[in-house]
Amino acid sequence: MKKHKKKIIAGVIIAAILSFAFLWCDNAAGPHSRDAKNSESTKVTKTEELSKIPENFPSAESFQKTDEQTETEGNADLAEDIPLYSPSQTPSKDVSYSEQNGMDIKDDTGKDEYQTEPVSEGNPVPIEPENTVISDKELTCTMSVRCDTILENIAWLDKEKTELVPKDGVIYGEQTVTFYEGESVFNLLVREMKRNKIHLEFENTPIYNSAYIEGIGNLYEFDCGELSGWMYRVNGWFPNYGCSRYQLKAGDKVEWVYTCDLGRDIGGDYSSRNGK
Amino acid sequence: MEEIILRETESDKMNEFKTYHPIVNFVYFVFVIGFSCVFMHPVSLTISLLSGFTYSVMLKGRKALKTNLIYMIPTLIFASFINPAFNHEGVTIIEYLPSGNPLTLESVVYGLAAAMMIVSVICWFSCYTEIMTSDKFIYLFGRIIPSLSLIISMTLRFVPRFSAQLKVVANAQRCMGRDVSNGSIIKRAKHGLSILSIMTTWALENAIDTADSMKSRGYGHPGRTAFSIFNFDKRDRKAFLYIMVFGIYTLIGSLSGGMYFRYFPSIRANDVSVFGLSVFVAYGALCMCPILIEIWEVRKWKAIESKI
Repeated sequence: MKKHKKKIIAGVIIAAILSFAFLWCDNAAGPHSRDAKNSESTKVTKTEELSKIPENFPSAESFQKTDEQTETEGNADLAEDIPLYSPSQTPSKDVSYSEQNGMDIKDDTGKDEYQTEPVSEGNPVPIEPENTVISDKELTCTMSVRCDTILENIAWLDKEKTELVPKDGVIYGEQTVTFYEGESVFNLLVREMKRNKIHLEFENTPIYNSAYIEGIGNLYEFDCGELSGWMYRVNGWFPNYGCSRYQLKAGDKVEWVYTCDLGRDIGGDYSSRNGK
Repeated sequence: MEEIILRETESDKMNEFKTYHPIVNFVYFVFVIGFSCVFMHPVSLTISLLSGFTYSVMLKGRKALKTNLIYMIPTLIFASFINPAFNHEGVTIIEYLPSGNPLTLESVVYGLAAAMMIVSVICWFSCYTEIMTSDKFIYLFGRIIPSLSLIISMTLRFVPRFSAQLKVVANAQRCMGRDVSNGSIIKRAKHGLSILSIMTTWALENAIDTADSMKSRGYGHPGRTAFSIFNFDKRDRKAFLYIMVFGIYTLIGSLSGGMYFRYFPSIRANDVSVFGLSVFVAYGALCMCPILIEIWEVRKWKAIESKI
């Protein structure tokens, strides 16, 4: 017993540190930490649940799969998800619609070259920025940048950032802006933020062939809970691909909105997008 | 006063603090290096950098001044360029980078602060190795963690020993005409490799030798006593109290927000207050402790000398 005293003490210390870390991190899960915990427990037993995925699908997996948010996750997660997004999951009319419009859906993954699933019927398909020619033709659309959800979840906001949140949640009020034919939502955002001296940070992610918007007006992803970040909506629809691949059309209504809950608080989560 | 210090450093390096009890040395470095790694307030960074720099020069003389400056200035420049290249947060936009992301004043300032921190920690560690020799470390931790403390001190000792032995081996090889500067490139590489293989064998054998000899001397066994020449006397008690008082005051002061400073999204600090100033004074007094001891010793020595 005496011989192993040190080993036992070391074991107890390690266990104490681990349990402390576990409990501590649990508090920082975001506004819906309880739901998040449920999803984690579901993830652990995923192998068992593979058989009955259709009914568990939105609640368990929507956490991992919300257009821009996925970009913050690694490849490994995506690979893990692949069996869950087999082509049979997506309505076949979406697949045929997307393929007719020029998307190259791979048979084995059910996704295109840049990890994008088929676009739901009636919505524009992604257009790669390197294949487009920007002309001199000036067109107009409307754009706005808002962060109303932060006001609702102000308790979760990083204390140092409180002063940055406008009282009405409007960072850039809706207004008509000019763009050039062939430009993407991303090109427009960068130009307008620069012109209005609003801070913007993005990162190019080659795997999705798009820019990822990390922060606008110094309000960054994860600043308001672990599930927060910027999303965009065009004509009321949250595209399931990055903003560099969404080509603007005259009269489009572009809205950049901050979410504190992976899109569910603004109606942009995976399940609602697919009409489930 | 300063003249005296400089003259002294040139003749024989001052390390009055080295003669103090190991626990005093160790507690001092734990406080100072710990605080230097954590405090991001520009004033505390300046205090730490200035005293760390001064002390390393006092310990090692003019040579340290040169090496300190050689790595310090490039690190400062490098970090202040590197940070804004990857970090674009901050409300003060100076310019837009070619990529389209903004270059902000806050990220530049933060890069500089981080560089100051790295440089000051390096300075403090160079002082640490000078003061906390392996016998002191073993004295403190030999009983509690015998094998780990032996490994740590052997590892720290390994690099200088290895380079000294390398010189010996290379010289011996040169006598046989097998130096790395002889012959064609392939031959030179062959000579280099044979020296490396000799060194590896030596290092492995040496490690086993040391382990065996320590074991045969009963190192780490419960009944073993150790001879040490360290006494915790009145002078040590005074220094220990001094370090503890200022160290704990600085710790409490910083935990209660006395050193609050933020870089993002905009640079902001606390207003100047008596409390805030007192925390900085305490931190300064802590960092300057060995320097003050040296100065005080020199003054005492001069006073005695002049009486004769």
